[in-house]
Amino acid sequence: MADIATTCPFCGCGCGLYLHVAEGRISGVAPSRCHPVSQGRLCLKGWHAHELMDNPARLTRPFLRKDGALAPVSWEEALSAAAAGLNAALRAGGPQAVGVLGSARAANEDNYALARFARATLKTPNLDCSHRTGSLPTSGDLAALEASDLVLLVGNDPNEEHPAVSARLYRGRLNGSRLVVIATRRHALARLADVFLQARPGGEAEVIRTLLRALLADQRSEALAALKASVAQASPETAGLSAADVEGAARLLAGAKQVALLYSSSLAALPAAATARTALADLAAVGERAGAKATLLELLPRNNLRGCLDMGVSPDRLPGYASLVDSVPDLARAWGADFCRVRGLSAWEMPGKVKALYVMGDDLTRAPAAPDLTSTFLIVQDIFLSPMAQQAQVVLPAAAFAERDGTYTNQERRVQRIRQAVTPPGEAWEDWKIVAELSARLGASMPYMTAENVFAEIATVVPMYRGVSYQTLERAGGASWPADMRGPFAWQRGLQPLPRNGSGPRSSAEFPFLLLADATLGPWDQETSIANTLTVAVEFTLIGRDYPTGMLYLHPEDAKQLGVRAGRNVQVRSARGEASLKVLVSDETPRGVVLVPHWQALRLGVMEIAAGSETERPVLAPTPVAIKSA
Amino acid sequence: MTSRLLLHSRVEEFVARLLRAAEVIAPRRTAGGDLLYGQISAPSEVSWGYGIPTEPLKRFFMPQRDPILLFSQNGKLRVSPVYEDKARIFLAARCCDVTGLGVLDVMFSGQYEDPYYLLRRRNSLVLAYSCQEPDDTCFCVCGDAGPFLKKGYDQQWTRLEEGMLIEIGSEKGRKLAEEHADLLVPAELEHIKRRHLLAKEAETKFGDFRAYVAAAMRKLSLEEVESGVWDELADRCVDCGGCAFVCPTCSCFTVTDRFDGEQGIRERHWDACNYSCYAREASGHNPRAHRKTRLHARFFHKLSHQWALRNTRHGCVCCGRCLSTCEAWAHMPAAAEAIRRGVVK
Amino acid sequence: MNNPYLPILATIESIKPETSDTSTFTLRIDDAAEREAFLYKPGQFLEVSIFGAGEAPFCIASAKHGRDTLDLTVRAVGRVTKALHALGVGGQIGLRGPLGNCFPMEDVYGKHVLVVGGGIGLAPLRPQVHEVYRLRDKFASVTVLVGARTQADLVYRDELEQWQKLEGMTCLTTVDVATDGWAGNVGVVGTLLPQWKHPAAEGVVFVCGPPIMIRFVVRDLEAMGFAAKDIYTTLEQHMRCGIGKCNHCMMGDKWVCLDGPVFTCQQLNEMVEYQQ
Repeated sequence: MADIATTCPFCGCGCGLYLHVAEGRISGVAPSRCHPVSQGRLCLKGWHAHELMDNPARLTRPFLRKDGALAPVSWEEALSAAAAGLNAALRAGGPQAVGVLGSARAANEDNYALARFARATLKTPNLDCSHRTGSLPTSGDLAALEASDLVLLVGNDPNEEHPAVSARLYRGRLNGSRLVVIATRRHALARLADVFLQARPGGEAEVIRTLLRALLADQRSEALAALKASVAQASPETAGLSAADVEGAARLLAGAKQVALLYSSSLAALPAAATARTALADLAAVGERAGAKATLLELLPRNNLRGCLDMGVSPDRLPGYASLVDSVPDLARAWGADFCRVRGLSAWEMPGKVKALYVMGDDLTRAPAAPDLTSTFLIVQDIFLSPMAQQAQVVLPAAAFAERDGTYTNQERRVQRIRQAVTPPGEAWEDWKIVAELSARLGASMPYMTAENVFAEIATVVPMYRGVSYQTLERAGGASWPADMRGPFAWQRGLQPLPRNGSGPRSSAEFPFLLLADATLGPWDQETSIANTLTVAVEFTLIGRDYPTGMLYLHPEDAKQLGVRAGRNVQVRSARGEASLKVLVSDETPRGVVLVPHWQALRLGVMEIAAGSETERPVLAPTPVAIKSA
Repeated sequence: MTSRLLLHSRVEEFVARLLRAAEVIAPRRTAGGDLLYGQISAPSEVSWGYGIPTEPLKRFFMPQRDPILLFSQNGKLRVSPVYEDKARIFLAARCCDVTGLGVLDVMFSGQYEDPYYLLRRRNSLVLAYSCQEPDDTCFCVCGDAGPFLKKGYDQQWTRLEEGMLIEIGSEKGRKLAEEHADLLVPAELEHIKRRHLLAKEAETKFGDFRAYVAAAMRKLSLEEVESGVWDELADRCVDCGGCAFVCPTCSCFTVTDRFDGEQGIRERHWDACNYSCYAREASGHNPRAHRKTRLHARFFHKLSHQWALRNTRHGCVCCGRCLSTCEAWAHMPAAAEAIRRGVVK
Repeated sequence: MNNPYLPILATIESIKPETSDTSTFTLRIDDAAEREAFLYKPGQFLEVSIFGAGEAPFCIASAKHGRDTLDLTVRAVGRVTKALHALGVGGQIGLRGPLGNCFPMEDVYGKHVLVVGGGIGLAPLRPQVHEVYRLRDKFASVTVLVGARTQADLVYRDELEQWQKLEGMTCLTTVDVATDGWAGNVGVVGTLLPQWKHPAAEGVVFVCGPPIMIRFVVRDLEAMGFAAKDIYTTLEQHMRCGIGKCNHCMMGDKWVCLDGPVFTCQQLNEMVEYQQ
């Protein structure tokens, strides 16, 4: 019997856990107490991480589409077909005709090899990951969060999205720390908060502008003048709040010695994400100028989104966030000097524009519009047959986190080890190894024998990883990026002026309600890995079962006025379309606003789709709707 | 049988002999610094300090993922049980965990006997190790589960200056002592006296949440808990299930099947009553759809006199692990306090 | 050591569709000795394995008290039930049981027996009806009231016709909504209660059906003067083990699989989950 120390493969927290192994099988998990993130705790997902192994739904052999259906084939046949598909696309349209998608779930070694495959082997600039968001200004860690005397949550619900962070919030409160929450939904932490600013959907940025106005009211410094001027006309009314509402929060902020500002990708799901993100960075900077210690953390949705971006899986950056034109001698030495240095398509632009798409552990189907892949030669590599893989011409089985060595980088920039506990099932291979095999067939072999070899190269090429090795990573909690190296997006770059970002959606007489696709409701619902666990999948599919066409949070007063009861269906109609949803009467949503879990809203055909403000990812904009009893 | 003394200089030899006889499970420090019960391969791996291992002993008797039946179909359909039949010696087991095993013994016997658990139990020898220093969250005194045990062990070891005082608690324990009589010497009266003094001293160190837990038990059993208390706790729970998994007395499980037409397996898996679908019926009706009802059910199960009457003692050994593992703030000490003081306006 | 998790094998001998989604499966235990040894009482249930899909609890719905075959009346709603429906005659399943407690019999001799069944809720009551009728001389009277949403939702329709003609038993049926030339009573099953004219103090009720039906019927029964301790029903928890180990069926300090599934309303009133 052995206890293998590894890192959780689900969210961006990166909790440390042990896998109990006996006779080649994993019999369970235990949290690591000494681990700086988990401190002896795990969430529902982490406690069941072992269910990804020894699981009948796992892909155990390659598949090739023959006569319309996926047929099991040998690695030889699958890799040949994949190489042939990529070569055909290259011949027809050059490197621009192929695309590569990396994974926020796969390890650094996998993403690095993939970035090399894209830019150096295929010479294509079309390299991205569907979870990529804008800049990730970040400083501080969970320890700093817990020590803060004021915490500000913006738009996120850690209880749903990052329970390891919730643990710090509850413990911090016992030590007297204060909590301010800006959100649309009045969730559990909002109910506990010292100040809860219930903002209308999309109003978060305006609330922060108002906070800044209050904080800067007495400031005369030159350096702050531009910022101060830009927020002078902040109007919290558009967010459904009054200046007085916001002033209480401003006072708390002003009096704090150590603040923590937290938000997550739920903010990125809104059109004004870029403004909100900049606003938070400015808030942190203002706090630091006033002598407070500020922690600014974006809580990430997947275990290795941070690492994936560090490895350069991005259409406009090289590994280590070097720009496409930077001189990068170490990278040129490793990859050869003629790798592609052009800006490529984003993940959302690739379908329809590339003839062949190689996807490693990513999935574009959970998006407002299903991607049109009908004329694309699709190669998908994953541990389960994801919705994306179901459409592929070639499916390649990958090894899961407990079946190989590697590293993940969490939301605090901690690089941590995953360690092999059991062998991969059937013929599944490690992701980086599949990439290397494919690369060899396309004429560019990669010099890696083990995941450790790949990491050794990463450490020479990616500045933030210099000096890190599997040896130095032996300690629990791994190694963090050097604190002074926050990539090109360090939030201390300057205090960005913050003009108002549009007036946001307005309800009208015809459409008196505002519908929000709430990304904090059921963020893991129906997600492939979770839906394929053995026992807790039902926890993450219950909403889908009980509310098959969609769940609508409706305030009790609004329900009364509409003459609608809980459990009944209503027709929700927007300028775009209409849908029938089942009502959940709840005072968590404000009056005049209705909420639908984001993943359900994707398919309703009711919501306005807006261009993302940071990447080309389309987002669901808060939409004016009319509601009536069905 | 009278107590024995194992001199410190002979402990290593004793453990080496145990290793030759069976699998030995003892607290060990991992490379990361965690204290876990795990299989040792050398006497030096045993961690003889105090402090609570992250998980209790239950996973050796009921693994988190436990195969119970195999199905096979070749001409004829056959269903056969899967038993783990291995001799194991549990060394330096904490008293709270040994008490927990006692509760599980009752759960898995009774009207129907669970052969998977009972076979593992029969094949095991439990050597308890009394605690003289508490960990951060220990309050076993309130659960009548330590830091020294009066019964329920095969042997109980207490660290004295000269060596380990070994109290014999069962026939199995007696036989083990006899087998290795050459390494043991009789304990003197003076050793026994010192052991009792140490026990008294230790009790004062192991936290006095006594008032909270006893008051909570009474209120729960008499249904005098304000319903607002459950609403409050519900806002401080995220349904992670950790409390059930680290609890020495929780044993709820769910069952999964798979069968490809030729081979198949039925496994049971730890489950947690906090999960929203735990009590959900096949029809879709869910008597505990709201978290506050689940928390009420959980603490009633753990602390009520009604439950204790059916199971010979109440369900909490006060080890404090739930406090360490809670992703929010809804563990036993938090609940006991909330139940006792009522809703805070 | 005996293993209560180990199922015995049985084969589906015949299948009778009852409604659009419900069928009665008649099973025969494969092994002769196991078949001989199988004795159950009305109210008890079985844990049934559909190999490949899983295991689920079903009440024993047999008509005969004999030992040769067993009936299960099952609606296809989930994974296991749909897999059962997909098996045909000759399909092999696993059984564990009989489990749970049973409806009272000797304890209620001399009483006026009233059985109220709604829809598929008639299934667990069926063995009790047959047994009570067999021993009808021991009871003051036997009345069976059966309701369903529509005629097509009634189960055991052939048997119901026979019951309505039996001597020594009164059987009345009703539907919520009349269809297809239904000439009988129309209204929820509670509307038949006024036709029961015996003293409630000397009566005992066995009622099963959808939760909402039970709630209304119990309310009407209490208005008629029945004491909660004289009204029996069965609970439908989704047990995993059926033997008091997995704890999924626990209500308070009671296990539905050990202390139930038959409970009196008085016992239900003590369960927090049913206090509404």
